Amino acid sequence: MIIRIEPDSDIPIYEQLSNQIIEGIARGVIQPGDSLPSVRAFASDLGVNMHTVNKSYHLLEKKGIIKIVPKSGAIISSPQDFNQSSLDRLKDEYMPLIAESLVVGMSQKQILELVSIIINDIKKN
Amino acid sequence: MTLAIFLFISIILVCIQTATPYLVKRTIIFGVTVPEKHIKNEQLLSYKKRYTFMVALFSFIVLASYMIWVLMSTQGEEKTVLIGTLIQFGIILFSLSFYFFYHGKTLQLKKKNNWMDNLTQVKVSDLTVRSQDEMLPWYVFLLPMMITVGVIGYTIFQYDLLPEQIPTHWGINGEADAFTEKTPISAILMPLTLLAMQAMFLGINLGKNKSGFKLSATGLNASRTRQLTLRKNSSWLMFGISLLLTVMFSFFQLTTIHPDLFAGTVMMVTPIIFLVIVLAGTIVFAVKVGRSDKQSIDEVKEEITDYDDDTHWKGGIFYFNRNDPSIFVEKRFGVGWTLNFANPIGYIIVFFPLVVVIVLSAL
Repeated sequence: MIIRIEPDSDIPIYEQLSNQIIEGIARGVIQPGDSLPSVRAFASDLGVNMHTVNKSYHLLEKKGIIKIVPKSGAIISSPQDFNQSSLDRLKDEYMPLIAESLVVGMSQKQILELVSIIINDIKKN
Repeated sequence: MTLAIFLFISIILVCIQTATPYLVKRTIIFGVTVPEKHIKNEQLLSYKKRYTFMVALFSFIVLASYMIWVLMSTQGEEKTVLIGTLIQFGIILFSLSFYFFYHGKTLQLKKKNNWMDNLTQVKVSDLTVRSQDEMLPWYVFLLPMMITVGVIGYTIFQYDLLPEQIPTHWGINGEADAFTEKTPISAILMPLTLLAMQAMFLGINLGKNKSGFKLSATGLNASRTRQLTLRKNSSWLMFGISLLLTVMFSFFQLTTIHPDLFAGTVMMVTPIIFLVIVLAGTIVFAVKVGRSDKQSIDEVKEEITDYDDDTHWKGGIFYFNRNDPSIFVEKRFGVGWTLNFANPIGYIIVFFPLVVVIVLSAL
């Protein structure tokens, strides 16, 4: 899988990295059980600080998406590893976005439609 | 003979110097990052042509005069060697000054035409590219080191056989022309030096292995092929050189212990064979890597370009990036690798063995 970052973007690099890895898993380009490159290898490929990659990996680990195994690196988790706490966290993260959608005048139907468009887009590949 | 060797080396040097603009990464022109869609710019193409022409012309004049001078005059061997060496440095310096001239020109052109404007600068990484990496593992480099340790052991075992004067330098005819007094250190100094060099090769291979795969967003396939070719071939080239050095040095060491083992002609021919193989290997390496990203070019429709990291490249030659954990990176002007000068590990790998050799020979 190709990871592409924009160093001059407003979104911090560590967030760009985790977003793309998550998207890669959702699209099925990366499978559960696959391993990610070591922090050093990934950082040197992109010419970014190792802290940046480390931060991204820890963010993914906190979300339960990867497991950091000492010596063997970062492994993608399988969906059954998720539990109630991930759902609670996602609910918290959906909240401001859905609230914003309502504020700008989207109807419930439009929001649901938008969500299914995004899901279809991800599943298509 | 001396003339022939110097001309041979110089001509190969000139060939590589003149071909350099055509062997470097596609999107780096005279050490400057140029967006993919502008690399065929008329002006840039003419810079490359003029660089090649000027370097070739100058080198031809200098080498022709050198040849005439050596053939006409009855100067001693020493002068031929001295001037020949100076000429090689001259060719490098001259090419370098032309490089800097066109480096400046390219920078100006890029700035004047605002090539980077309206393009999103991106960096890319391939998560699975490492599974295709065919670099030799570091422990393969232990093999020649083991041979060297064996030679050292043999020398200690045969210490009494060694002459009172240990040769330290061999002339072009293969006969020793400089000596030092026999001591336990001087007896094994040559294989120890070899061991330090082999350790350096091992360290460099390890350092390259740990360094990043730098890919181009606008030429993913081409840049991936180039990186893989560079990594594989440079580690094989280094291993080959390490092995050849081992054979040559062990051979010299054995000749010191058993002077009658080999004929004088073998002594004379060995370094020449070594030189020819190393030069041939280097040319094959440079051409192979240089051509690797010139085919299979992918089309890019998006308005993107590779991240402009010219500020990390001092003069387009010296890489200095504190954030990048890479120890080595691919050269910008030339084929091969250069140090990330902001990473102290690189200094240790390259300079520590040199210091060891210098300290040993001062003892």
